[in-house]
Amino acid sequence: MDLASLGGELLGTIPLGDIVLYLTPFHLFMFVVVLIFTFLIAISRTETQIEGSFGTLKDHKVSVGLEEFKARRFLAIICGLATAGAMITGDLFNFTLFIALIGIVNVGIVSAVKQVDVLDAAYQYGIIAMICSLPLFGGAAIVLASTGTLSLFEIASMASATPMMIFGAILLMIGVAGETGIAPFFATKAEMFRTPGSPFILIIHLSSLFVIIRAIEILLILVKVI
Amino acid sequence: MLVPEFVPAIFASWYIPVIYAGILVAFIGLIGIAIEKRDIHILILTDIVGLAMLIVVAAVGTDLAEALILPGLVVELAEIMAISEILISREMRKSDKSTSLFPLPLVLDMEIMKTAPNFLALVLLAFGAFLTGFTGGAVAGAGILLYIISRKSRGLPIAVIEGIGGISGIAWCIWIIGFVLLFIAPELWLLSLFMAACGLVLKVSSKLGLIGTMMREEFKRE
Repeated sequence: MDLASLGGELLGTIPLGDIVLYLTPFHLFMFVVVLIFTFLIAISRTETQIEGSFGTLKDHKVSVGLEEFKARRFLAIICGLATAGAMITGDLFNFTLFIALIGIVNVGIVSAVKQVDVLDAAYQYGIIAMICSLPLFGGAAIVLASTGTLSLFEIASMASATPMMIFGAILLMIGVAGETGIAPFFATKAEMFRTPGSPFILIIHLSSLFVIIRAIEILLILVKVI
Repeated sequence: MLVPEFVPAIFASWYIPVIYAGILVAFIGLIGIAIEKRDIHILILTDIVGLAMLIVVAAVGTDLAEALILPGLVVELAEIMAISEILISREMRKSDKSTSLFPLPLVLDMEIMKTAPNFLALVLLAFGAFLTGFTGGAVAGAGILLYIISRKSRGLPIAVIEGIGGISGIAWCIWIIGFVLLFIAPELWLLSLFMAACGLVLKVSSKLGLIGTMMREEFKRE
């Protein structure tokens, strides 16, 4: 599928040697939206949860300490910037690296919480993210081997897709699904949300939503079925 | 065909077998993960899948693929460190007490600690300074570590070097200046090469020395 029908009129390219960034309204919109969300998260404070308990009338306040709040805010900002980078990049391997960074940072955001269940879920999510780095990087490497380039701009101008490219694209999609914790692997991620500290936890979810949209665009560029 | 003519045909024909080998290694790792029940073992076995990822990337065998292996390795390391941090913090929450960072027994009853550790440390330092660069830094740092551990295991006092992190920072700056100089003024390549190499040897060795300092502080606490 050509770039114009995927992301609107091509506004221009930024050639940085081998890496050619291409700008379309779609990319710019996603990039700016992620940056706005990151800014909102950077200036906000965490929520405090009130948990009711069974049998008594007492309630239990769960708050986030200052140290943990700072670490979590820092990691949330890194996660936002990585998501913004994944939106604008025109290089397949940079895209996979940004996604791997999102995966690591997602584990980091919940690493200091006090609930054992949440830590358990984060551990499971981290194991899946690590296993899925095989299809993620392997898919990018197979695309490199079958096309000779990692630049999406050049891949988009190729006429047809070889079976190896389609295989690489499928592997890449499996990798993205595992690293960002979407459909088959969502259970652990839902569990990770149960900790207090809402705006920083939400970036975990937001980053995966944006990354899916971009990953599907890249998939259409690689596969060329339509 | 994408492969240039000067590449021998046998190299190009290895690509598919290597991909199969990578997938096979990953499959073996996944079987291990499915069978194993203890969390720490699962974490270690996951690293096998990470190695399979490196095999698949390395199979491409071009310069670009070589440049992709390093980030892949770094990502793999960062992930394993993040997950092990999760495991540690979970176990600490479960047992409700904080544990030492490096729970090694203080008494190392080894002959190498008694016979000539100072000489060995000196040889390692000299050899590291001769090598320069990253390897030299690692060798010299191993020398510093050996010195500190041997002094400690014999119960002798150690000359405390404060601000060893500062040396590391300054060495890092020398390295970066040398690196930038290589691009700005290519005619000064020898100077910048030596700046980078000497900065790196200081940086890595002081980093390893820092590990020694931290370990000593842990021992002192016990």
